[in-house]
Amino acid sequence: MDLAQKLEILADSAKYDVACTSSGVDRPGRHGSLGSCAAAGICHAFTPDGRCVSLLKVLYSNACAYDCGYCVNRRSNDRPRASFTPRELAELTIGFYRRNYIEGLFLSSAVLGSPDRTMELMIEALRILRQEYRFNGYIHAKTIPGADPLLVERLGLLADRLSVNIELPSEGSLRELAPDKKKSAILRPMGQIAVQSAASRRDLAVYKRAPAFAPAGQSTQMIIGATPESDRHILNLTEALYKKYALKRVFFSAYLPVVADRRLPALTTRPPLLREHRLYQADWLLRYYHFSAGELLNEAEPNLDPYLDPKCTWAVRHPEFFPVEVNTAPREELLRVPGIGPKSALRIVQARRMQRLGLPELKRIGVVLKRAQYFITCNGHAPARGTRAEIAGALLDPGAFGIGVQQLSLDDFAPKPLPAAAPAVHELAAQGVAPAQAAQLVREEALTCLVRRM
Amino acid sequence: MPGQAHVTDTAYHYDGTFAGFLCCIFESYARREIPADVCPPQQAQLTLYGVRDIATDATRARRVAAGLGRLGPAVRDRIATGFLHSAAPGKDLALLRFARLAFARGPQAAQMLGDADAAEAFALERAVLGEAHHYIEFLRFEERGGMLGAVIHPKHCVLPLLRGHFCSRLPGEDFLIFDAVHGAALLRQNRRVQYLAMQRYEPAPDTEEADWQALWKRFFRALTIEERRNARAQQTHLPRRFWPDMCEMQPDAPGDGPKHT
Repeated sequence: MDLAQKLEILADSAKYDVACTSSGVDRPGRHGSLGSCAAAGICHAFTPDGRCVSLLKVLYSNACAYDCGYCVNRRSNDRPRASFTPRELAELTIGFYRRNYIEGLFLSSAVLGSPDRTMELMIEALRILRQEYRFNGYIHAKTIPGADPLLVERLGLLADRLSVNIELPSEGSLRELAPDKKKSAILRPMGQIAVQSAASRRDLAVYKRAPAFAPAGQSTQMIIGATPESDRHILNLTEALYKKYALKRVFFSAYLPVVADRRLPALTTRPPLLREHRLYQADWLLRYYHFSAGELLNEAEPNLDPYLDPKCTWAVRHPEFFPVEVNTAPREELLRVPGIGPKSALRIVQARRMQRLGLPELKRIGVVLKRAQYFITCNGHAPARGTRAEIAGALLDPGAFGIGVQQLSLDDFAPKPLPAAAPAVHELAAQGVAPAQAAQLVREEALTCLVRRM
Repeated sequence: MPGQAHVTDTAYHYDGTFAGFLCCIFESYARREIPADVCPPQQAQLTLYGVRDIATDATRARRVAAGLGRLGPAVRDRIATGFLHSAAPGKDLALLRFARLAFARGPQAAQMLGDADAAEAFALERAVLGEAHHYIEFLRFEERGGMLGAVIHPKHCVLPLLRGHFCSRLPGEDFLIFDAVHGAALLRQNRRVQYLAMQRYEPAPDTEEADWQALWKRFFRALTIEERRNARAQQTHLPRRFWPDMCEMQPDAPGDGPKHT
């Protein structure tokens, strides 16, 4: 098998992994080595599914010993199998990196024989890259559940970010679908990484040349929609992971039926892309907007609203919080206004030291006035008054009713619901209603419901 | 205070260099006036305004540069980076007005985004930085005879902003970035960097390089998840004007390409 063929198979097997970020560590280039890292991360390409390619995301091997129900690489699935050698992988990374195709390497692997053996091979590949090729770019490595803690430590000293996939949002689902993976085998390395990473940061503050253990922290991912957990359960879990293990990111991956299995949704199920999007929005609220999971969802409302982003949902439920005076309110309160994000909140706080802010000033600062105008006052005056229907119309997320041409072949110009449109729009369109009309019907329905709730 | 200077109906014409632009700022203070327009030679057409030609004077330019330096990196970089913006009519005037605001209000003027002039200068800087960042992401090197080369077609003069990133990232490499729109190139050879005026860059075909590109294309194709296809999201993140310079966005062979026109 030639290298190109191997690369194709192992990239194809790795593509369902969500994380492709190269963020979290700032490291300038050094003479005698190749590469640098930027804290914000750098994307290098975008595939036709709109996802970014930042890292050379491949599996070391896809010949798996495990049989997890949701996974393409499960033992019982008939697929071409391949494995890299450590040197091939290193050469490939350097060749792509020099041409500015990638920001670094994302190395994961199927369980090749045993978790320990797999980790040893991955460590060897990273060692060649770091020591022989003096590669100074980004490396994200995935630890294999069940591997020895000493191997996790060696991996962490070579990689910038480590991740352990939590795979499914509850222990019950994990037992059902991934019988070879144990909850403890997932959480133990997570705890170990959190402790060692914090210790290494303390050492680095004292000794400049102390070895850095996973300086970009750790992340995890879970599959959404394969099992029956509610959004509330998922968000509470996410919040707990951020707090307990100091994770940098929790990724969600809309379940794509890749293998037929009676324990899983049918093969014809559409991936819940809108739900995934809403979960990411809620995740952002947890990390950058000082929201807590308990504020976003409760027992009466266990799932996120498909037609309204979580921040607007919160605003609709808490009319007593508004209006917020932009010239005096603290940053945390500004962040709760729909249409004001972390950047505009910071700019407002900075700009108002020098001048009073009115509506034209806010517009220049970059606030989304379409939504924000109903929730703020400028110098004590409300900039806009709207009927409930007008406000509701401004809040509804147009993405949930997206219709567009998705050209799959040259003569395909018919508008269709976009992939991230609400399930109701897809269903109506599948029943033969014209897509534009389906979107309009669903929107009117959502608007009526929202007006009633306000 | 900016209020003391009055807006005149005179347009400043300068030679298009940054030093010339700094002299326009000097002139504006010397005459206590805000010009109606500031034009580099490319934009100097017949106007209704009276015209004053501003001579470039190195001493005056240095005095203004030192003054801007005292206003802190945010103000200085905003003017220097905003100046790389090309072909926006009125860009020079906006930067001049922002410079006056900054001299009047101090370093914090950079954060007065509610002010029209400050907001405009910020928008200019952001457009240039945004494009430079896009090229840091989407630039593609090709290796020819041990040297890396890339062609870009930027709207603004972004080469000075690419220099730091690529020199830091590829410390041991020689490389050339050719800006085909502005006819300039950034050449790094033996750890020395120079800017060149250049009209054409046509490297000879190379089989080893073609193999690397084919490998990359194959990887890129394998990554796509068909069930999630979202061409609109792709175009939002990767605007079409960058596609011609990116090898993975090119069709494989005539008649057998990706499905778009």
